[in-house]
Amino acid sequence: MATTTATVSINSSDLIPGQPLSINASHTLTKSGLTEGLEIIDMGRGVLTEASAADALAEALGTADTSNWIYLCNKSTNDLHYIKVGIHDTLIGHLGAGEWLWMPWNMGDNVAEINIEAEGVTGSSITYEYAIFQESKTLPAKT
Amino acid sequence: MATINATISVNSDIMSYPININTSMVMNKFQSCNGLDETSGMNVKKFNATSAVKIVDNTEGTAGKASKVYIRNTGSSKTNFFYVALANGVAASDSDETIGKLYGGDWMLIPWVATAATTHDIHVAPSTTEEMTLEWMVFQE
Repeated sequence: MATTTATVSINSSDLIPGQPLSINASHTLTKSGLTEGLEIIDMGRGVLTEASAADALAEALGTADTSNWIYLCNKSTNDLHYIKVGIHDTLIGHLGAGEWLWMPWNMGDNVAEINIEAEGVTGSSITYEYAIFQESKTLPAKT
Repeated sequence: MATINATISVNSDIMSYPININTSMVMNKFQSCNGLDETSGMNVKKFNATSAVKIVDNTEGTAGKASKVYIRNTGSSKTNFFYVALANGVAASDSDETIGKLYGGDWMLIPWVATAATTHDIHVAPSTTEEMTLEWMVFQE
């Protein structure tokens, strides 16, 4: 059984005057309702072009309503560059230059894909890195 | 201007070689190198019903500006969970606005666009009537 742990620390000495912020959390990724660890991973690096439409980072290929996790990082160093991140037709947020996200993805139905789109500077490109840890994944059918 | 640093470390033995992700970021304003300087503060709430509850209203942020949302199920149960959703009332498992599930100990940190619409409210729905506790914090400009 595989073990995957994700740890976060969020710190700020000046966000709240007189109250330094320090959040630390860690969890182990497990299958839905079980203590068994996730055993499927897809990770890589890619480039998005600003002029193109949204692309699917991951299709919802697998059992619906399961436990899956997304790591995504915008590797751009240009403050104007950002990546729109959404699930199907719903925009979640804008991932700015140098920023990362960590979120669960339950693949609620077969169109609940994770999509990303480069924005910010016409014609420019944004490099991104990602890792998807999954409980269930069905490979696409052969064409 | 405040400086908020966030670091993630992911370690896994899924593959036959170790996977180690270590990344840090500074939470900045939209298309800016200036840091986010507003926050909701840390919220902690106990839940004991399965009905969906709005935890972040779209009006808490400014449309088109940058926001980050941290949410954590503080429990330890790997059976009970919270659905987290961007939805207009219900966090259903088969809704395409549902983001995912947070079991005991699970945390998430996501960017959030406070589009001026109820479709960008953040809701949670517990899977059980057994008491569970959620903590969350919004960082915004």
